[in-house]
Amino acid sequence: MARRVIVVGANASGVEAASAARKKDRTAEITLITLEKNAGYSRCGLPFVLGGQIPDFKDLIVYPPAFFQMLKLNLKNETKVTAINTKEKTVTAVDKAGTTETLQYDSLVIATGADAFMPSIKGREKQGILSLRTIEDGEKIRQAVQNGAKSAVIMGAGLIGLETGVALIERGLKVIIVEMLPQILPQMLDADMAKIVQEHLQEKGMVIVTGKTVEEFLGDDNVRAIMAGGEKIEADLFISAFGVRANTKLAVDAGIPLGETRAIKTNARMETDVKDVYAVGDCAEAPNVITHKQVCSQLGTIAVREGKVAGANAAGDYSLFTGVLASAVTKLFEIEAGVTGLTEAAAARNRIEVVTGAIGSKTAADYYPTAKPVKVKLVVEKESQRIIGAQVVGGAEVTQRINAISFAIQKQMTVRELAKADTAYAPPLNETWDPMVLAAEMVLMKLR
Amino acid sequence: MVKVEGYEVPEGLYYSKDFEWIKIEGDKVRMGVTDYAQKSLREIVYAELPSAGGEVKQGEPYGTVESVKAVSDLIAAISGTIEEVNGEVQSKPELLNEDPYVKGWLLVVKPANLQAELANLMDFAKAVEWHKAQAQSK
Repeated sequence: MARRVIVVGANASGVEAASAARKKDRTAEITLITLEKNAGYSRCGLPFVLGGQIPDFKDLIVYPPAFFQMLKLNLKNETKVTAINTKEKTVTAVDKAGTTETLQYDSLVIATGADAFMPSIKGREKQGILSLRTIEDGEKIRQAVQNGAKSAVIMGAGLIGLETGVALIERGLKVIIVEMLPQILPQMLDADMAKIVQEHLQEKGMVIVTGKTVEEFLGDDNVRAIMAGGEKIEADLFISAFGVRANTKLAVDAGIPLGETRAIKTNARMETDVKDVYAVGDCAEAPNVITHKQVCSQLGTIAVREGKVAGANAAGDYSLFTGVLASAVTKLFEIEAGVTGLTEAAAARNRIEVVTGAIGSKTAADYYPTAKPVKVKLVVEKESQRIIGAQVVGGAEVTQRINAISFAIQKQMTVRELAKADTAYAPPLNETWDPMVLAAEMVLMKLR
Repeated sequence: MVKVEGYEVPEGLYYSKDFEWIKIEGDKVRMGVTDYAQKSLREIVYAELPSAGGEVKQGEPYGTVESVKAVSDLIAAISGTIEEVNGEVQSKPELLNEDPYVKGWLLVVKPANLQAELANLMDFAKAVEWHKAQAQSK
C-alpha cells in the first residue's frame, strides 16, 4: 500500500516537506492541508508589495497550482485541521463548506507556523490594529493606504516592523516606530551596528522611538492613538510587529511535547517525541550550531531547510538537520544589514566570552566613485579563537559577506585563518583587503 | 507567441491538462511539456525518457522530469508508437526550461488514434482560457 504523508500547513516549510517527500517516494499519497486561501507564497515578500516594488500580492505565490498537480500533491486549502490523533494516526479536518473528514497517515509533518503576537496591552480588543503575517493582512494595510491613511504607528523595530515602515514611507506615509528595547533590530544586531541603520532610517524620515513600551490603545471602538512611555501618539494606521509566537495548539492538544522555547520539540531528523510525527518551520525548535541550545529562529531559510529534512524522513529517507546559525539579511532604503551566528549581546547572554573586531571600510576602492561605506563586526570566542558570529552593515555587498562568514563559522574557522583569507579585489568591486579580513586582523591584535 | 499571465502558449498546438503540448507534423506528432509546466518545476536537472519503438498511451506516464525541488511524471497527451526521442534533452535537460516548445521537444510519435484523442485535448483558444483560469486560481 502506498505510504500516506500528511503535511499540516502549506507555506515555506510545508511545501518544501511535501516536495522532499515526493522526491523520495514517487508513489506516496501526499496531502497538504492549509487554513489559508493561498498556499506556497512568500511571507517575506509582503512588505515589498506594500512598498510597490512588487505589483501584486499574487506575485508572491512561489508555487502555482501546476506545481502541486505535477508533483501529485493533494492540496486542501481553506481547510482547518481540528485534531491530530497520534495513536490512531489520524488527522481530522474541516473544509470551508463545513465538511469534516478524518484522514489516516503513516507520517505526519506539522508546519503550522506562527501567529502575530499581541502583548496584553490595555485596549487591545479595539478595532483597527493590523499586522503583517498573511496576504490578507497585507491587503488590509494596502486598502488603508488607498483609503487615504497619512500616518502610521508601527509597534516593534524588528525586521517586519522596519521593512513595513520603509514600505509605508515609500507610499508617502509618515511613519513612527515604537520599540520597547533601547535599539532597533534587537534580535539581529548589536547596538553599535544597529545605530548605523537607525541613523539611515531617520535621515529618510522615519521617526524611531526606542526604549518605550506601548501602554494603551486609545479610541472608542477604533484605535485612534497609542500611549507609549507616557506620551500619546496619534495616527491613521496602527501596525503591530511585536513578533510572532509558534502556533503549537494542535500539537499540544495531541500530546506532542513542546521544548524549552515553547515551540515543538524535535530531534535532528525534525521528528517530535512522537514517532512518525515531524515538526518544522516557525512552530518547531532546533539547536543553535554554536550554543547547542534549542532555538526557534522563525526564519524562512531555516523553515525550508527543516522542511526538506522532515519531508525526506517522512517518506522513508534518512536526513539530518545540522542546526541553526540564523543567518539573515535585510535592505532598508539604501542600507543593507546582515547577521550570522551570535551577536556580542547573544554571546554574553550565553556566558560565552568573546573578542570582537569592527572595521569600517568601503564596498569598492576608496578612490572609486561608487564606493559605499560598509562595516563588518566579527565576534570571536576567546579560548578557541573560533569565529562565532558576524554582522555586516553597508551600502552594498552585505549578503555574500554574511554567507562567506556563515561558511567560515560552519567550518569552525579560527580568526587567525580568516586573517589569511585569499579574497578578491578590483577597484570597482572591493578593497584590496576585504573588510572581513581587516576585522579578523583587528581581533588578532586584541588577542595578543 | 501569445503570453497568458506570463506563460507562453503558442498557436497551432494542442494542449493537455497534464501540461503537455502536441504538434501535428504530417502523419506524426511531436510532443513536449508546456512553458507553464517548466516554469512551475523551475530548474530541470534530469529527464527520463522512454526508448524509440515503445508505446505511449494517452493519459498515462511515459517518463519523468526532475528539477532541483520537484519531480513529475510526464503524461502522454496522445497514444502511439515512439519514433524519435530527443536525446539532447537527456544530456541537456535545461533545454526544457530554455525552449520548451522547440529545442525542448521530448518525443515524436506515430499516433494510434489521433482524431478521436484530439477531442480530449485543448486547442489554442481553449488553452488560453485554461491558462488564464489556472493563473487566477492562484
